Amino acid sequence: MRRFIKDLKKYYKYALYSTKSELKAEVANSHLSWMWWILDPLLFMFVYSFITVIVFDKSEPYFPVFVFIGLNSWTFFEKTLKNSVKIVSQNREIVSKVYLPKFILVLVKMGIFGFKMVISFILVIIMMIFYRIPVSINVLYIIPLFITLILITFSLSTLMMHFGVFVEDLANVINVVLRFVFYLSGIFFSIENRVHGILGVILLKLNPVALIMDDLRRVMIYQKGPHSMLILVWFVVSVLLSILSIRVIYKYENSYVKVI
Amino acid sequence: MENKNNAIEVKDLKIRYRCLRKMSIKRSIKHVFKMQKEVFEAVKGVSFDVPRGEIMGIVGKNGSGKSTMLRAIAGIFSPDVGTIDVGDNTVSLLSIGVGFQKQVTGRENIYLSGMLLGFSEEHINNKIDEIIEFAEIGDFIDRPVKTYSSGMHSKLAFSITAILETDIILIDEVLSVGDAKFKKKSYNKMKELIMNKDRTVIIVSHSSETLEELCNSILWLHEGKVKMLGTPQEVLPVYEEFMS
Repeated sequence: MRRFIKDLKKYYKYALYSTKSELKAEVANSHLSWMWWILDPLLFMFVYSFITVIVFDKSEPYFPVFVFIGLNSWTFFEKTLKNSVKIVSQNREIVSKVYLPKFILVLVKMGIFGFKMVISFILVIIMMIFYRIPVSINVLYIIPLFITLILITFSLSTLMMHFGVFVEDLANVINVVLRFVFYLSGIFFSIENRVHGILGVILLKLNPVALIMDDLRRVMIYQKGPHSMLILVWFVVSVLLSILSIRVIYKYENSYVKVI
Repeated sequence: MENKNNAIEVKDLKIRYRCLRKMSIKRSIKHVFKMQKEVFEAVKGVSFDVPRGEIMGIVGKNGSGKSTMLRAIAGIFSPDVGTIDVGDNTVSLLSIGVGFQKQVTGRENIYLSGMLLGFSEEHINNKIDEIIEFAEIGDFIDRPVKTYSSGMHSKLAFSITAILETDIILIDEVLSVGDAKFKKKSYNKMKELIMNKDRTVIIVSHSSETLEELCNSILWLHEGKVKMLGTPQEVLPVYEEFMS
């Protein structure tokens, strides 16, 4: 762990700089440049709201905001995870020429998608003002909720990065699994209100992303408290997972170069 | 570090490429109970010291473990057996264009590359003008790297590694880039870098002339083992005879 902190200190500037230049590169390539960071989440929100409200005739209070919060946190999780699977071989140029703690590559991806998530949550706040959603002190719970989301994303992505080096078709499997979890996570429906009985409990409590999403909505739009105990449990699990994943990559990262 | 005058101490170094082959999930399930035990040993027990300020050349035919060893000394992967001790010296494997992000400007790429090589932002700030000047690419420094000609690309890359200097430099084949004029300039710069008496250098090269001109000692690797270690005058003639 000491090594992790030392490496983090040494390389965080590189991570920041690299994040910045990747974001810049993205902007440089498109006509509407940074407008996409706003348009992309906004348009997807419309798509899912349309399907749920018009096609399935289901809804929740403040539905567009409801979808938006779910979608934004999911996108951060999903994109980082998906991108991490092949990240080592994509950075072959760097990895085979200098030593770089491999978790830095994951951090760069998290920086990119985290930045986009921040932008879309600013949009959420604007929408909350637009809908005149009352806010209670519970809204401060978003801080531990986001920290847990970040840790979960980091640990799972780092582990996937590790396995992605050795197992070539892992990306396909991850895609399917993520799509499945996407529909189970209650991004455009409320698990609590729509899935009854034991299944609903399982879906909500055993899937950290669904739980965090649900709690973000509770504290941001419904003035309720989060599932504190459960979040605490998931927080501890994600810390342990992060430590495990860091251990794993420190043990094996040396051999990555020999495989790719 | 046993001897204070040494910059690099390598002891009984062995590097293996294990059965860590990429595989598909189907194959990995099949093989989960009988992992293949193919091990290829690229470096088979090599020991040597390089005193501070010395220039050592490494020769050997293709596949004798030269590049593998350099990468191990640079810390890209660690030895399976034995130790590599570089004390608290900074080490860089002189390689061109590390971590270039083609969509952003040359200036930003200098920072990216420099930070990857382990330099601080302040250090790069101090050196950036020198790098830009040396690279001779003028106004292009503030344009995206994707607009560069291949010559400009390698000139910038060379300048970054050459001007941000580390205590120990590892060179895999002496680099020559750019047009004839820049080639000469870069060769001279390399020589200047290498000749600095505080700097320790290991060069892998197939050119006996270069090695004879630059090196204090030559290590001859053959199939992962040391075949000969001595002054260029001793080793190079024997090596050349062996190769012909």
